[in-house]
Amino acid sequence: MASASHKYLTLFIAEASEHLAALQSELVRLEQEPPAAPLWDSIFRRMHSVKGSAGTLGFTRIVDIAHAAENLIARLKAKQGKIERSEVDLLFAATDQLVKEIVKVEKKEEDESTITLVDRLAQAAQALPDPGTAALRTPSPLQPPPTAEPTLPRLDVVVVLSKSCAAPGARALIVQRKLKAMGTLLEMEPTPAQLMQQKGGARISALLATLTATDEVREALVALPEVEKVDVRMAPAARPPESRPRDKTPPPIVSPAQVNVRGQVTPPAVDADELRPESTVRVRAEALDQLLDQAAEVMHGIARLREATKRLPDIAAARLEPDIDRLRRTARELHGRVMSARLTPFSSLTERLPRAVRDLAHRLGKQMEMEVLGADVELDRAVIEALGDPLAHLVRNAADHGLEDPETRKLAGKSPRGKLTLSARRERDKVFVEVQDDGRGMDAAALRRKAVQSAAMTAEDAAALSDDAAYELAFLPGVSTRDDATEVSGRGVGLDAVQRKVESLGGKVSIRSARAKGTTFVLELPLSVSMANLLLVQVGAEVYGIPLHRVLLTTEYDLSARGGEGFEARSLVVMGELVRAYGLAKMFALPSLAPPGPRPFVVMEVDGIRFAISVDRLVGQEEAVLKPLFPPLDRVRGLSGVTVLGNGRPLLVLDPRGLAELCGIHSAPKPTPAAKGAA
Amino acid sequence: MPKRVLIVDDALFMRNTLRDIFSAAGFTVAGEADDGVQAVNLFRELKPDLVTMDIVMPYKSGIDATREIVQLDPSAVVVMCSALGQESLVMEAIEAGATDFIVKPFRGEDVLAVVKKVLGE
Repeated sequence: MASASHKYLTLFIAEASEHLAALQSELVRLEQEPPAAPLWDSIFRRMHSVKGSAGTLGFTRIVDIAHAAENLIARLKAKQGKIERSEVDLLFAATDQLVKEIVKVEKKEEDESTITLVDRLAQAAQALPDPGTAALRTPSPLQPPPTAEPTLPRLDVVVVLSKSCAAPGARALIVQRKLKAMGTLLEMEPTPAQLMQQKGGARISALLATLTATDEVREALVALPEVEKVDVRMAPAARPPESRPRDKTPPPIVSPAQVNVRGQVTPPAVDADELRPESTVRVRAEALDQLLDQAAEVMHGIARLREATKRLPDIAAARLEPDIDRLRRTARELHGRVMSARLTPFSSLTERLPRAVRDLAHRLGKQMEMEVLGADVELDRAVIEALGDPLAHLVRNAADHGLEDPETRKLAGKSPRGKLTLSARRERDKVFVEVQDDGRGMDAAALRRKAVQSAAMTAEDAAALSDDAAYELAFLPGVSTRDDATEVSGRGVGLDAVQRKVESLGGKVSIRSARAKGTTFVLELPLSVSMANLLLVQVGAEVYGIPLHRVLLTTEYDLSARGGEGFEARSLVVMGELVRAYGLAKMFALPSLAPPGPRPFVVMEVDGIRFAISVDRLVGQEEAVLKPLFPPLDRVRGLSGVTVLGNGRPLLVLDPRGLAELCGIHSAPKPTPAAKGAA
Repeated sequence: MPKRVLIVDDALFMRNTLRDIFSAAGFTVAGEADDGVQAVNLFRELKPDLVTMDIVMPYKSGIDATREIVQLDPSAVVVMCSALGQESLVMEAIEAGATDFIVKPFRGEDVLAVVKKVLGE
């Protein structure tokens, strides 16, 4: 079998997996829309690319499956008619099998026979007329290069920058300007922006449409400072898809987006500034995590340095401070850059969902389609990872509970095909992810009834809730709108888990719903999770952090005048409202060192319920890198994370929701807190 | 005829360093400016063959000064002198019309290599 130690093996696995994931959602689209040529081309190209790379590495079984599937795809495209469900199923089967094969490659397992599947693919292909290869070889008329001069000669230009180049981004910008002055720049990779802050040497390749002679272009580029080597040659007029990936090693380090653009025929004209700025280099995810940790360590180190200067005589401190400030800014920038390097497109979450929805639809006997908007919106990898389950849950939920069966929909005057929309959009430092269905909408009355039945609140309280507030009851454990628990999404179990997960990321979930129109779950998420603004409070000898976005205000109050404080609630007036107050010391069984008298209170809000926690002292505010709790601390209710302070001491971060539960405040929606012991 | 240079930098030390480098290489230092406003005025007055331009300066940044100079004379040759880590500013300056750049700390030969190339020598 293959040389598994091939240096491109990891790259092959990563790329093939990406192609196969994308195939899943493209195959779903085959069933939904009258498949257009570009969709077929993309499907064909992905299969072809997997085959080509696998061939290079000698994975014959992958080649066999991909080849057979590719044949079927070519004939289906040529048929230009309706695609049978069985045919799509077969392509799904091929994709699934390829995924398994890739996993085997990854685990270095031996192949088992795939002959049956290959036979079935071949049979299906044989049943269709042979289009020859022409159908897929000709450049798609739908993707003409949007340049003004499609007939100009094209030059492949390679510019190597010298190793001593201190600002390759700026240098590349000058190269770019020079190229643009000589013709139409169709492609440039990497872009100046990508080269920024990268030390030493770089190889820029560009595609230029121009009437300028190759020699002239070369001379103009050689004349630029810090340009070490220039290679200019005529580009082949068109690049047939067959000629490239099969015989060579896989094309190095291009993102799937770029594969889309470059894999076939003439590359479209893209202004170099608009080239996608991501993914020129593959980096292991853990490497980025380590980098982030280390960037955080540097920041901690600098914070400690600042602390240390406070103990120096003023003159010495004044000398050091500007440098430390500069260092801190640089470190923060470094941290920011690593954070942005970790950004992952929303599509990495959604790629597999259309397939899941298709399977679900078949299982539930419903018709549904799924649309993903904002697939290129980027989120921190940690958010993406944590969001996988909640999002899948919400989608399942919407498919199962939200969307009606075709008959019911027709009766309601809707299209029999239900629609799920998954969207992501960025607003400043937040990302909003929405899961929307056009189904029956939530039943506020039923939710109120359920909440009362499950003893979450009294009938009066439930009746007092507005419809919007009643929808939020769905987040209470054990409250569900449908009586029939289904195999697919259970009995609404898990919406509370969804809420918990989102909140642990520092986000919020809300629901919009309208009877017979549909329901939308809105997830409001921070762009990145690991930096948090903390309010530091002290109790006894311990200092804790409270996430500032949860803190409403801090105030001072003298409860001792009214008979001491304790676990059980006292009340204080905050902004004209009576708010229950609890002692943090008592909650965590810590000795409070504060003398009797007025003391600070931190007022927080969870689910619209305000409560106050008394502490001994407000210490200050700090921006900190949060890390998850490790066992056994992760089991302690009321804690959500840990961080390291500037003085090197670890700091436990409190979880306001957990505190609310410790206090016995039931997490019921506004306006009436139903008192019920949950602790 | 020796090429005439206008040196723009708010640090006397940098101006002196550059003056030594250029003088030793046979250039004529036509003038020196220590802020962006003065740089534009001197450029208009002296019409130098070459301007070396600091980026961060009082009153008017080197980027704005470059933009104005290039507007006055589109063939003006302006070489930015930037500190390490100012890459985005340099790129901004290039967008504004700067011909090229050198990165501090530099050696005399680095400066001259860039300058000679941009002057087409």
